[in-house]
Amino acid sequence: MADIVLEARRVTKIYRAGEIETLALSEVDLSIERGEFSALSGPSGSGKTTLLNLLGTLDRPTSGHIFVSGEDTTEMREAQRAHLRLRKLGFVFQAYNLVPVLSALENVEFVLLLQGAASAERQRRALACLADLGLAELAEKRPNEMSGGQQQRVAVARAIASEPEIVLADEPTANLDSKTAEDLLDLMQRLNRERNVTFLFSTHDPRVMARARREIRLVDGRIASDQRRPG
Amino acid sequence: MVTLLRIAWRNLWRGWRRSAVVLSALAIGLAACLVLVGWSHGWIRQMVESAVSTRLALLAVHARGYQANPDVERTLRDGGRALADAIERFPGAAASPRALGDGLAQSARQSARVVLVGVVPEREARVSIVARSFIAGGFPEATPIGVGRSVPGVVVGEALAQSLKVRLGDKLVLHAPGETGLGAFRISGVFRSGSIGFDKSTVFLRLEDAQRLLDVGDGVHEVAIALADPRALAALTAFARAELPRVNPDEALEVLTWKEREPRLAAMLGLMADTAWIAYATMFAGMAFGIANALLMSVYERIREFGVLRSLGLPAARLVWLVLIESLLLTFGGALLGVGLGATLVWVLEHTGIELGSLSTGLSQLGIGTTIYPHLDPGDFVSPLGLAFATALAAAIWPAWKAARLRPAEAVRHV
Repeated sequence: MADIVLEARRVTKIYRAGEIETLALSEVDLSIERGEFSALSGPSGSGKTTLLNLLGTLDRPTSGHIFVSGEDTTEMREAQRAHLRLRKLGFVFQAYNLVPVLSALENVEFVLLLQGAASAERQRRALACLADLGLAELAEKRPNEMSGGQQQRVAVARAIASEPEIVLADEPTANLDSKTAEDLLDLMQRLNRERNVTFLFSTHDPRVMARARREIRLVDGRIASDQRRPG
Repeated sequence: MVTLLRIAWRNLWRGWRRSAVVLSALAIGLAACLVLVGWSHGWIRQMVESAVSTRLALLAVHARGYQANPDVERTLRDGGRALADAIERFPGAAASPRALGDGLAQSARQSARVVLVGVVPEREARVSIVARSFIAGGFPEATPIGVGRSVPGVVVGEALAQSLKVRLGDKLVLHAPGETGLGAFRISGVFRSGSIGFDKSTVFLRLEDAQRLLDVGDGVHEVAIALADPRALAALTAFARAELPRVNPDEALEVLTWKEREPRLAAMLGLMADTAWIAYATMFAGMAFGIANALLMSVYERIREFGVLRSLGLPAARLVWLVLIESLLLTFGGALLGVGLGATLVWVLEHTGIELGSLSTGLSQLGIGTTIYPHLDPGDFVSPLGLAFATALAAAIWPAWKAARLRPAEAVRHV
């Protein structure tokens, strides 16, 4: 039986702004298995980010259910959802989004701190993670002292430091030049292959889609196609 | 918590200009409040000192009923000596029996209504300010026994001397109600207490001369009591109320503090102390809006950052803590600076004094000196720090609530 990490069942999301209702997702069913390197693609407004937010428990569906490692998150209180994110999900955002007043090391440590890891353990794991990603020399630097590519690599380090079930990456290459984007994808692909880290991207970057072993294409809030490629 | 503290601290430095403005405003406001409170304390202390060191005395013993009806015949026995000796067993207490009565002072050219105060100069010197306020002469010497036509001495205030157009050595006739109430005296001393009202209406004479003039035999009307440490007044009062009735068990007494004798003055001073609280509360209420505004701005600027923290799994409650810690750091920083600045200013002014210049004449009428010496007690620093804590909490509520209510999915995309 497949080891399903994330699952959406008949998920619909409607945004309401006053009298106006916008259907962002309609009756979406989707399962992500452990070890996948998948991409949600589609044109702007197709519902990629909405679905990623729902799968990451950052938002609630209008109807349907989201399961994380088999747990139904739909009825969870916000504190429970925060706890679930902390334990099982890693995030990489489009605009780097490191905490600006913390160094690279402290940013990576932060999630471990929230998980309750002891100080020495936190530092050891965070440093090991940065070193593994070739970022050891950036440990003491703050985000404003790093390039965009470096910040995004630190963001990846932060996402995987707590060893989550899956890393959700929202347009991770959108703000990067080609070379930096390729380097970042190399890094994530290596983590997927060597450490079996599961990745799900939302993207319309052809470079990301080309590397994904599964591409789920969304159009108008529905899954238009779901293609798997040999790894 | 240490990491939240670290983030909060660095966030304050990130917007250092805004933090500096809030911090400075708080510090200056608080320092101004402390100077105001110090001024108010100095003023109150001076009024109390002036009142208790001239006519009132810190504590007074009378025959029962004298305060309500100061009848000249309502005297204490035995010149009040036994009572004075008994009260002086209390550490730091000094007692002076006084014979009191209304009278008329008449010079060659003018006359004025006065209060006659008969005292034992050596005892009075330890109780009232007069002995330290002579600008000419001093208390009269005892009239030598056997000297037939020797004229006893009296002491008058400078204002009274001016009003009667007399000087040191001039003659003065004193009238008092009663058959023996007339006598000629020579001015042996002139004083300036700082209270024009007192100086204009009080004549000191030796106790035996006053007793003869008022026709009260060996009686006195009051035993006035001073204390080396006025803070021990409550203990002294309790001591006096317990001990003095045993001195002359059949003599009915009343033991009254200056506040009981002058409730209007006490109420006025209480009102002045309350004014300090109003100043504090107003200042901190204003500051609460300033801090809340600064925090709110800082929250709005960091919506995306807060969204990221929430996405990573930071519970909303800890985000509230983060905003609260920032507010506490800002407020306590400002409060400590303000306390330091205010305490320094008051310390300097306590030593230099604040000269009131053109207001001095009016204030002298109220019994206040012309120079105010601000003063702060250690307790005065407790309330601003307590209020600072309350302000920090109040100011952080709205911004913290805003931060906690952010929806992570929207916040991470906020531009």
